[in-house]
Amino acid sequence: MSPHVLSLLSSIMAGLGKTLSLFAISLIVSIPLGFLVTLMLRSKLKVVKGIAEVYVYILRGTPLLLQLFFVYFGLPFIPGIGKYMVFERFQAACIAFALNYAAYFAEIFRGGLLAIDDGQYEAAKVLGLTHFQTMWRVVLPQMIRVTLPAVSNETIVLVKDTALVTAIAVPEIMYYAKGAVVRDADPTAFIVAGAIYLVINFFITIIFKELEKKTDF
Amino acid sequence: MGKTMIRVSGLNKRFGDNHVLKDINFEVEQGDVIAIIGSSGSGKSTLLRCLIDLEKADGGTIMIEDKALVKDGVQAPPTEVRKIISRMGVVFQHFNLFPHLSVRKNLQLAPKIVNKENKAKIEAHTEKLLGEVGLESRIDAMPSTLSGGEKQRVAIARALMMNPDIMLFDEPTSALDPELTGEVLKVMSDLAKAKMTMIVVTHEMGFARSAANKILFMNDGIILEEGTPDDIFNHPKNQRTKDFLASITNKD
Repeated sequence: MSPHVLSLLSSIMAGLGKTLSLFAISLIVSIPLGFLVTLMLRSKLKVVKGIAEVYVYILRGTPLLLQLFFVYFGLPFIPGIGKYMVFERFQAACIAFALNYAAYFAEIFRGGLLAIDDGQYEAAKVLGLTHFQTMWRVVLPQMIRVTLPAVSNETIVLVKDTALVTAIAVPEIMYYAKGAVVRDADPTAFIVAGAIYLVINFFITIIFKELEKKTDF
Repeated sequence: MGKTMIRVSGLNKRFGDNHVLKDINFEVEQGDVIAIIGSSGSGKSTLLRCLIDLEKADGGTIMIEDKALVKDGVQAPPTEVRKIISRMGVVFQHFNLFPHLSVRKNLQLAPKIVNKENKAKIEAHTEKLLGEVGLESRIDAMPSTLSGGEKQRVAIARALMMNPDIMLFDEPTSALDPELTGEVLKVMSDLAKAKMTMIVVTHEMGFARSAANKILFMNDGIILEEGTPDDIFNHPKNQRTKDFLASITNKD
């Protein structure tokens, strides 16, 4: 590798930590939050179900970039509570991403639950399992298996979407790459950044393949 | 004999406008093996499912071992329902094994987390019951690797793990290839010989004739005729019963 590319790589890698932590925090928060929304979508209470449906509709129906801007620039302007809604750039990014991805995961999990046969619930019931035991021991493991390919897909999209936060100047990979391109008037830095995203997604693909093998039945 | 295990009186069930069960009355004594026969749509599966709270009765009374699951159309409270149905084991047409768990774990899940039995006892019970259904060698197999007949035998063993007083079978051989029904019916006959109280919804007339002591013939939501296998198969009184038996035997 030429010294030029190496120096680009080392300067862009300064953003790796932010990219990976935004990715990890978003994923770790949005998966359980998404499952909670799934349960709300299946609620018999119309109000609960309605709130979840509106949530999914808005978060899926508007651009992630807009949501990011709204959390960072917009929330502080809300009368009354706005002064408690002032976030740092990175915090705002995590909040917007977690909320947005939770909506997608909620729909993926909902589909996964639809794939589980009624007979599974019936068998669990006649064996005396409680509702919670049925969910935890019977339904969830099967739902995870069914949804793993879709979750894997969404996770890969999440890695790439982290680049959006460069728009509010979070110093991640894309931020440094853009800086280098502007500074040197040379697009090589974009190629280096692209390579870094590919490497990250290479590992994610392998991890999910392994998970699929492990949960196969 | 003598102890009444199940008493159903005035049972009614509707799905919308469809009156599926019309004023059903029958009793099950300890050790009875009751075969419920009849054409599809006659209500026999719905009747079985009402007994185990998989369908809610709209009216009437269902007493299980002297406890009311439904009394005059009113369901018992959920904790009471759970207690009552825990005395019964169910075997489904489509087995409903847990596909993500091995045979061993399918059998052990409920004893472990519902009954909280100790490990050694559960392990011994598992081996004993798998032996009785002839599947001790498949203890660590996953359900997807079993044949239909093996799956159903595992399902029977799984239900027996909870030490039920009554076993309910909902068309246990209807989803099986014909050559696999024998192994399942044999296990059921063994259970009957061991004096298990059983209710079996079935199309297997051979089994009904040989293993059951009482036959209920259902037609259009009512028990049209009931009696011993000899009564029903050799001396049916009702024309519908005769027609049904003729159509079944013609198929064979």
